[in-house]
Amino acid sequence: MSEAKKNVKMTVFKTDRHEDLAAMFFVTIAVVSVLVYMAYIVPSITLQAPMDGKITAVTVQPQAQVNKGDLLYSIETKEKKYAHEALEEKIVTKEIHAKTSGKILSVMAKAGDEVKKDKNDILVLEHVKGTLP
Amino acid sequence: MEEKHGMTKVVAIIPGLAFMVLTLYILRTYVEPWMTTAVILGQKGWLVKVLHLNYILLAIIAGMLYRNLLWAGKIPAWAEEGFRTTRLFIKAGVMMLGSLYTIQSLAKVGGVAITLIMTFVFGTILFVMYYGRFQKMDRSLVGVMAAACGVCGVSAAIATTPAVRAKPADVALAIATVLGFGIASMFISPFIGHMLHLSDYQFGAWVGTGILNSGQVLATCLAYNPTIAPGTAVAYGEIWNVVRVISIPFVVFFITMWYWRAEAEAEHVTLIGIIKDKFPIFIIGFFAMTAFSSLGMLGAEGSATIQLMRTVMSWIFGLGLIGQGAYIDVRELKAAGGAPLKVGLAAGLCKYALALVVVLLFVSKEANF
Amino acid sequence: MKILLALDPSTDTMDEALRFATEKKADLTALFVLDSTWNDYTGHDWLSGSGSRADFLEYARDAEITSETDIIAKFRARCPSACEIKTATGRVTDEILLELTEGKYELLIMSHPFRRGLEMMRDAAGVILKQANCSVYLIRDNQSHRSASDVGDLLVASIAT
Repeated sequence: MSEAKKNVKMTVFKTDRHEDLAAMFFVTIAVVSVLVYMAYIVPSITLQAPMDGKITAVTVQPQAQVNKGDLLYSIETKEKKYAHEALEEKIVTKEIHAKTSGKILSVMAKAGDEVKKDKNDILVLEHVKGTLP
Repeated sequence: MEEKHGMTKVVAIIPGLAFMVLTLYILRTYVEPWMTTAVILGQKGWLVKVLHLNYILLAIIAGMLYRNLLWAGKIPAWAEEGFRTTRLFIKAGVMMLGSLYTIQSLAKVGGVAITLIMTFVFGTILFVMYYGRFQKMDRSLVGVMAAACGVCGVSAAIATTPAVRAKPADVALAIATVLGFGIASMFISPFIGHMLHLSDYQFGAWVGTGILNSGQVLATCLAYNPTIAPGTAVAYGEIWNVVRVISIPFVVFFITMWYWRAEAEAEHVTLIGIIKDKFPIFIIGFFAMTAFSSLGMLGAEGSATIQLMRTVMSWIFGLGLIGQGAYIDVRELKAAGGAPLKVGLAAGLCKYALALVVVLLFVSKEANF
Repeated sequence: MKILLALDPSTDTMDEALRFATEKKADLTALFVLDSTWNDYTGHDWLSGSGSRADFLEYARDAEITSETDIIAKFRARCPSACEIKTATGRVTDEILLELTEGKYELLIMSHPFRRGLEMMRDAAGVILKQANCSVYLIRDNQSHRSASDVGDLLVASIAT
């Protein structure tokens, strides 16, 4: 049998097992890159509104130190939830806590502000190096 | 064709991959935002609100247009190697989807998924075995169609073919049938889901059970709701997908045993041997990600880290799906015919409709997580 | 006159090509192409992991080789020495067009539908007619309504023996 006939070219990899392993390697690189980037390279993060709603209270001031779990602000939002097979919509107030310890650099939102998900900035947090904001 | 090695192989990937990245960049940066504001038939955002188009569907459609219109049915040599990375990206995306779950949440939904899937898998296998015999189909082809319709479509057909000595030409027809059905349901299911006001949980459960070719389950869920987060269609659909993928070696074993039972010279197969040969090990990566997520190593839910991780995931899926679209040749699908088409259509339609009825009757709108 | 016969399982096409070549006193070359596009045909399938797809592609390749042996034997039986037989591996229509260009043939004879490898799922004649640089003689293949190709039949036969 000639080599040309023997050649069963799968992918850029020799077999799917290689492809599986390559995918695992690729994921490891991607995940580690994201974690290292967020933990060590990004100096601070801007927290944006996680949902549409109205800010009811901002409990932190610029330059304040916060610990993981501390309350940052509260937001009033419409929550859609299935209950008893029907979609219920009710107004709830959600408390947003710090995901990591750090220092508040600035606060852009104030109580009463209407905010849109991923559009409005709430505050800027400088997280402790090595933690995931 | 000259075989490439080492760096030449890596360099050969670049043009096709760059083309996929550029396509996705244009779709996400220009086309998707334009769709939300474009006024068509007097309605702002008609393409999104009525056609439910999003970057996932656009990616698949773009791939299909490249292959079928721009390139007249064949991926050109310069792009070939790059497009071959499509499976790598989707597998990587699937592994990263593992981060949407914790071990507890998997355990909660996994029970429902396993029950539904196993009932439908073996129900469909028995249906195809009966109907195939009724259609006087070749036994080996019955085996392939039973695997294809029962569990994971093309992947199961491919895994079973050598074991039951099916004719490659018949398998080609079976693949066209199963893939054609998968693609049709990928475009139709979101409409039905929106029409029936299915929750993300119900939609994931339905398409995860009812779509013939598992390759399209993820894409269908993302087409229904492109958000990648816990509690979305893709988070539920993927659990169904993983259960299906894990069951492939067991289904292959079952069908191989059934096939050789009636043959004079039985081939010696063992379940361990089949698992060793056929188990898709990338699924281990999925569970590893779930374990890391359960241990809180990937950042807290709602954190900027998790958000970035999901953005990376959405780009990885987008790239993979452009490639998937480009591997669909409509002319080849149109050639589907013969007994595989009859049996595939009967099994596929029954499964699709029955899964919807079961989900509507027994799966609550509220998810367990 | 130089004629190229694209081989597929159709013996009617082989017979007609030989008759035509004899009548025209032409040189007849037969070309068998092993289809290497099974990988692309299953390229969308990302769920297969480990050895599944490799096993399948090897299985399909073995079927191609069995088919090659049988079809060439059938042709040899009809034309023991006078005809040249060539083989190639790749996308079937591409290889036929390449041979037409390189061999400077004046006529291509092939079956329609053309049942070589995955071309049974494609329109080989349509592609060839659009791009061929010579005349094309299509012979209606009356066996093409069968769903099982000779490729598969032969593979099963070879396993049985």
